[in-house]
Amino acid sequence: MENKEAFNALSEIRDMMAKSTKVLSLSGLSAVAIGSLALLAAYVAGRLLASDAISQYYKLKLLTAGAVALFVACALVVLLFAKRKAAKNNIPFQLDATSRKMLWYFFLPLVVGGFMCAALILQGHYGLTSSFMLVFYGLALVNMSGYTYSNVKYLGYAELLLGLVDCVSIQYALVFWSLGFGVFHIVYGIVFHFLYERKHAK
Amino acid sequence: MNIGLENINKAFESKARLGIMSVLMVNDEVDFSTLKSLLGLTDGNLASHVKNLEELGYILTKKQFIGRKPNTSFSVTEKGRAAFNEHLNALEAFLKNTKNNN
Repeated sequence: MENKEAFNALSEIRDMMAKSTKVLSLSGLSAVAIGSLALLAAYVAGRLLASDAISQYYKLKLLTAGAVALFVACALVVLLFAKRKAAKNNIPFQLDATSRKMLWYFFLPLVVGGFMCAALILQGHYGLTSSFMLVFYGLALVNMSGYTYSNVKYLGYAELLLGLVDCVSIQYALVFWSLGFGVFHIVYGIVFHFLYERKHAK
Repeated sequence: MNIGLENINKAFESKARLGIMSVLMVNDEVDFSTLKSLLGLTDGNLASHVKNLEELGYILTKKQFIGRKPNTSFSVTEKGRAAFNEHLNALEAFLKNTKNNN
């Protein structure tokens, strides 16, 4: 047996173990894309909140509809980038046992958090909405990290921390929101891309 | 100077069988189609490799019906787990040994 043969066998084993237990098609570039979308959305929301032409009631409705639309758009972007990455790197892109597990662990805290945010808005505690979104999103990321690139948990910790700071601050909800969903995603996405995807492509 | 070389398991020399064992080591149970797409094998190819591993007593095959569709899934046995770990140790020892010689 050659040295190289043994080495190849070990890397093959490692590759198969990772491929069969983790969703590796998530792309760093999609994080950059959804971060940018979030910043754009935050800008529009800021303009909307500052305007005097619309009543408070309609502002709330527009913001809620906008948030839902943003979420759907981001989900589509992530899916699209993942599909592209899977095709490029020859990794499976399908709803198998692993991706189902990942989705379950991601969406469990997110749906609970989404429900609680809706309750907060209905009961008039608008100020806490952004921190709830950040905290539950952070929990969702940490929760799913066992089934994809494990470093996604660091993004989760960052979001959690930011959400906690946000919930004890009285002002700047939109700034915290833009920082967490915009800037953090972009920074994470760029670091991720250079750590994994650029090196991989060579 | 071939420490551990006798522990290199011939059964795992094929890339396909090595892949099957790697996947089964870290998953409780994997079905035929998932294994097929992970390893990029054809039906017949995968079938012959799993049959081979089953005959060695390294894996278990479970056939059942999900609704009306037959479904075959595989899991690793204790014997298979031990054999694979030994193979891994042998590979490691081999690499360490050659490194020291250079």
